[in-house]
Amino acid sequence: MGKTTHFGYKQVDVEKKQSLVKGVFDSVAGKYDLMNDVMSLGVHRLWKNYTIASSNVSNGDQVLDIAGGTGDLTIRYRKKVGSTGKVILSDINNSMLYEGRKNLLNHGVIDVDFVQANAESLPFKDNTFDCVSIAFGLRNVTDKDAALKQMCRVLKKGGTLLILEFSKVENQMLEKAYDFYSFNLIPKFGDFFANDEDSYQYLAESIRKHPNQETLKTMVLDAGFEFCEYHNLTGGIVALHKAIKA
Amino acid sequence: MFRLAIEKTLNHMINANNIDIEHIDNKIISLKVEEIDLSLFFLCMNSRVFVLDKPQNKKIDVSIVMNKAAFLSMLKGSTIEELIEGEEIEINGNIKTAQQLADLLVSSSIDIEDLISQYTGDIVAHQLGRAFRQLKEGSLKNDGSIINNLKDEITTALIAPSRSRFFKRRVSK
Ligand SMILES: C[S@@+](CC[C@H](N)C(=O)[O-])C[C@H]1O[C@@H](n2cnc3c(N)ncnc32)[C@H](O)[C@@H]1O
Repeated sequence: MGKTTHFGYKQVDVEKKQSLVKGVFDSVAGKYDLMNDVMSLGVHRLWKNYTIASSNVSNGDQVLDIAGGTGDLTIRYRKKVGSTGKVILSDINNSMLYEGRKNLLNHGVIDVDFVQANAESLPFKDNTFDCVSIAFGLRNVTDKDAALKQMCRVLKKGGTLLILEFSKVENQMLEKAYDFYSFNLIPKFGDFFANDEDSYQYLAESIRKHPNQETLKTMVLDAGFEFCEYHNLTGGIVALHKAIKA
Repeated sequence: MFRLAIEKTLNHMINANNIDIEHIDNKIISLKVEEIDLSLFFLCMNSRVFVLDKPQNKKIDVSIVMNKAAFLSMLKGSTIEELIEGEEIEINGNIKTAQQLADLLVSSSIDIEDLISQYTGDIVAHQLGRAFRQLKEGSLKNDGSIINNLKDEITTALIAPSRSRFFKRRVSK
């Protein structure tokens, strides 16, 4: 085996991770929205609202929603940018993009561009966007540093990066409860609702392998951002990192 | 939460009223209000304002330090020059830039009472808030933004651990 990386708790070849992640999201795509609501008890909507509130996106802005999946953030951005703004939903996975398109249509949102792209090599010009965000996507990316550099590159000077991702719980009691929930209940929910215990086991494991708040902040600054702050949500189950390109 | 609310309100106002903030572009302005332990860093870029907790080793262009009385009086419309004359404020850097930030704060629809009460919970907040509201009444363009802001804030309150009974510690970094 050559260079390895983690896929949940397993070590796999770097080259293999992307296709394994693809397998997970191909498998969960159809039930993704339902499972999001079940697993987070609906709280993911509040985390996303908080992200939008932090974005300062307004009329005329250009926004890129990376790993946008079924488009929860895109729908909210679209309302903010008005007719002169633009929102692009990009994702590496065709099945997720398909579900995203369906979801946006169901919400009456049509004025959005869809781009199939790997976050590690974004097909956009330098200095294009006022805001770039990635929600619950970064932990699935193999080369996170490369992806963060790309996000910095495509942002305008003064543009905002938002990373919403599962993180390190601050309180020990909550951590224990959360561990129990993630490793015992989530895979069971996955089995019950989506007939797919393995994918949900991966999702729970990948959260634990993701860098904690401070590590991610350092990675963001190393990628070229001048400012980065984070805000813990729900006791650190999730953190929102907000960075500015100067 | 606190910083986010100020940031959101300022940016909403800049947008709704098409305010040009080019003159303070690329500047970091620090504002410290003694007694209520309020310390904020304002960064202006890409036609918007960011309210930061720390300047992250960057050079501060203008630093403003004042007490709560001076802060209240600034919100009532006292100019920075008047406050300097009364020796109620300390400024390091360009006074014009400081005045521009002050103008922005005064003309915004920030509910200082609500924001500061999270910090102090004392009568100061009430006084500040009342003064601020009186100033605002009549001058605010009411386009429903307050309701929207309020909705966002309630949502945020639901998930912000700093407000939760279980996670009392401040967690914003
Ligand atoms: C958990 S979903 C999040 C979807 C959406 N952002 C949300 O918050 O509901 C993760 C998404 O990341 C996408 N993804 C995984 N690896 C990626 C990569 N290297 N580049 C872009 N997207 C990727 C997946 O296809 C999936 O749609």
